[in-house]
Amino acid sequence: MSRWGYFLRRLLLAVPVVIFGTTITFLILRAGPLDPVSAILGPTGSPQAYNRIQENLGLNKPLWEQYIDFMVSLFTFDLGQSWVINPDTDAYDLILLFAPRTIWLGFWSVLIALFVGIPLGFYAGLHPNTPSDYLASFGGIVWRAMPNFWLAIILVGALGLSGPFGGAWINLGPQTNIIGPPDLGFFSDPLRLLTAPGDTWPDFLAALKKIAPAAVVLGSASMGNEMRIGRTAVLETINSNYVETARAKGVPRRSIVWKHVFRNALIPLVPIITGEAFLLIGGSVIVETVFGINGLGYLFFQAITQGDLPLVGSLMFIFILLLVVVNILQDFLYTIIDPRVGYER
Amino acid sequence: MSDTSPSEDAPLVDRIAANPRPALVWVAGFAVLLALEFGALAESLTSPVPWADLYERPAGALGLPAGAVGFVLLASAAVVAGIGFAHYWREGSLRAAGGGALSLLVAVELGIALGGNATIAVTALALLAALALVGTGVARGSPRGAVIGGIALLVGLVGVHAIQPLPTLLTRELIPNQGYEHPDRGWVGPFLGLPPAVAWALRVALVYAYAFALLAWAWRGYNVFREHYRYADWTPRDDMVDRFRNHYWGLFGFVVVFMFVVFAVFAPPIGPTTVERNIMNPYSHELTYWDEAAGGTATITVGDANLGSSSAGNPDRNVGVMQYDEYDRFHPFGTLVSGKDLFTFMAAGARVSLFIGILALGMSGLIAAVLALVTAYYKGVADLLAVIVSDSIQSLPRLLLIILLSVVFAETWLSEVYSGGLLLALIFGATTWPFLWRAVRGPALQVSEQEWIDAARSFGQRPHVTMKKHMAPYIIGYLLVYASLTLGGIIIATAALSFLGVGVSAPTPEWGRAVSDGRSYIATVSWHISTIPGILVVIVVTAFNAFGDGVRDAIDPQSAGGGDAADEAVVAAGGGG
Repeated sequence: MSRWGYFLRRLLLAVPVVIFGTTITFLILRAGPLDPVSAILGPTGSPQAYNRIQENLGLNKPLWEQYIDFMVSLFTFDLGQSWVINPDTDAYDLILLFAPRTIWLGFWSVLIALFVGIPLGFYAGLHPNTPSDYLASFGGIVWRAMPNFWLAIILVGALGLSGPFGGAWINLGPQTNIIGPPDLGFFSDPLRLLTAPGDTWPDFLAALKKIAPAAVVLGSASMGNEMRIGRTAVLETINSNYVETARAKGVPRRSIVWKHVFRNALIPLVPIITGEAFLLIGGSVIVETVFGINGLGYLFFQAITQGDLPLVGSLMFIFILLLVVVNILQDFLYTIIDPRVGYER
Repeated sequence: MSDTSPSEDAPLVDRIAANPRPALVWVAGFAVLLALEFGALAESLTSPVPWADLYERPAGALGLPAGAVGFVLLASAAVVAGIGFAHYWREGSLRAAGGGALSLLVAVELGIALGGNATIAVTALALLAALALVGTGVARGSPRGAVIGGIALLVGLVGVHAIQPLPTLLTRELIPNQGYEHPDRGWVGPFLGLPPAVAWALRVALVYAYAFALLAWAWRGYNVFREHYRYADWTPRDDMVDRFRNHYWGLFGFVVVFMFVVFAVFAPPIGPTTVERNIMNPYSHELTYWDEAAGGTATITVGDANLGSSSAGNPDRNVGVMQYDEYDRFHPFGTLVSGKDLFTFMAAGARVSLFIGILALGMSGLIAAVLALVTAYYKGVADLLAVIVSDSIQSLPRLLLIILLSVVFAETWLSEVYSGGLLLALIFGATTWPFLWRAVRGPALQVSEQEWIDAARSFGQRPHVTMKKHMAPYIIGYLLVYASLTLGGIIIATAALSFLGVGVSAPTPEWGRAVSDGRSYIATVSWHISTIPGILVVIVVTAFNAFGDGVRDAIDPQSAGGGDAADEAVVAAGGGG
């Protein structure tokens, strides 16, 4: 099978995966033991209100009709509306309202993980069995084992108002508190970052500083993973025959490292990097709850605990789409980077 | 082969019969170790499992008197046990013997749950069965019969323990650590008048000494088998064991994991106080302390004493690490905000985490192994279907799916069992198997390409026999690697859920709840509440990862990361917890 044939196959496989994943969500929400209508109403609902909501959601129809409605509306991106969190608001608007902060958080946590984890791992791999390698490896292993929620509250404790570094953190750069959402007002007109840098860059820096602790926490597990895998990947390639040949030919070390080691060592890192998406979506619930950032993870958790099941279904669908797209992206990157793909699997 | 030693095809039983001495020595040592702690073992079979539910639930559903249903169930379990043993006796079927022993255990536990004469009757029955089995085993010269009789005897002794408690070595009654300090006479109450801290440390040291003795004896048992009873001088597994023994990072992981398991299994004797007394029902228990003002002893309920020993960031009223509170109680890890003992809380929480982790892993490991074998053997459509199902489950964000499921099922009876622990274990089991399956799919496909699988197929061996005998042993090691990583992830995810307030419900201890309780006090004198559980999670998870690395290097020295690293990352981090 050719490379693009392999990619095409993966692309086709994504369709049943999305359908089946959404079906699982449907089954949990509608066929599960929790009645969506009573979850929305809470303990003090009148029967009239009950009937009205039931009719509105189409829950009085047979299950298979509900299923078809559910699937058709989701796949046409009719995401319904929120019932408890923000009644009578379209789920679409809610997502647009909450998503930017999560994207901001996710962007920086991916960036931190990439630009700290991979260089550290490569450094450790290029200097194996030295004290700095041991330090970096051990740090990566412990860093990876730290639960997000614990790291988050420790950071909040240390950098918060009453913490030992609280004062120092507040006065570092623009004044911000560690808890609370970042102000992303400058996003409404991103071009102003270029046209009026004096006004907008302080806002940008404040938003960056605000998100930094949360991004460090969220990137922690991936950072450790990237370090570990990066180290083994470099070690594997640097001991391979073609590197030895290049060295024997007299290729300078710099060009060996960048041309022959670096590119090949990136291949096993691809699934780790794309796999970050899974950790980010799961971790955002915890990190956003602890740091008080009202993003998508926070929205999802509030929707679940307050019984806003229609909104939960829509959010789940968005997350599924996102993860499947990331998976496709991973296969795409594989196809581009690794010419052997499709032949060995 | 010479005439004196058994032939190479002789079953293990015959080889033991030919040279029984090393085996007998080992069994005798094991019996001594078992006898020292038998009371605790019997207790752990009886009390935590809701045996009474077995008849009360159906009786409730059918509207019949619970006692009658219980007796019917008891009688039928006993009959099943009898049929099983009779079948074994006639045909020598080990499966029948195992089934018999299991239903005998169910019968005994039902008898204990029903109480009164039922207990005595069923215990007598079990002891009689054990006697008969051992007797016939010895009379026939069949060691296997004696072993099965021994198992039946243990089941009977569980019943005996319910009637008349058998002694246990490692109990707080034997080495008590609770007491008060008399101004003239020193400590009154703790073991030998030692300070409570020393008495407690002694008990913990004894527990760990016992556990490591048990471990060493098990290792010795493996060596006895290898030297005296295994036909082959060398097997590939010996190399794996040797590689693991020289893998210090893996050994570190193994030792820490073992200590964690002991911490969880021996939680009742290890804690300075008990969960029931200190955490669950503090107002139903009393405590004697020395009242300075009155110049004599006084009593107070544990609940009231807890109010005085709370740690909530106040420098004047804080019980930190390795400190005594004002009622002379010793707190190795300090106290919680509620004044309860953190060490006891942690030990009980370890139990909950371990229960959830092992049940979930057992479930998902079984699904993953069976699926991997079936899809690798048949390939084609079966493989494609499994890929789609597992990809779909993996496309749902794991932690969010777990939160969703635990909220949706929160009102059902499942969430009442073990304070929601069972439900969580089932949820983890249902959502973890795709990761495990992914991990063993590659090795399973690899082994299915081997010639011996083809050979087995061509001479007509039935597929499930081929899978069990020729494929399963190859993938078990890989499963163990991922199981170890996943267990760390499950511990993190369980803690994350209770941190968020879903999952295991209060007051049942769970590590994440301690972290959540103490989060406002991190920068105060009560820093220990959140910090210690977090550090323990980091150590335990690191150890599980290290153990997994060690096993991987032992079974497959060529591999080093790569492959399914992304899946590994997700499971090992608990899906982002």
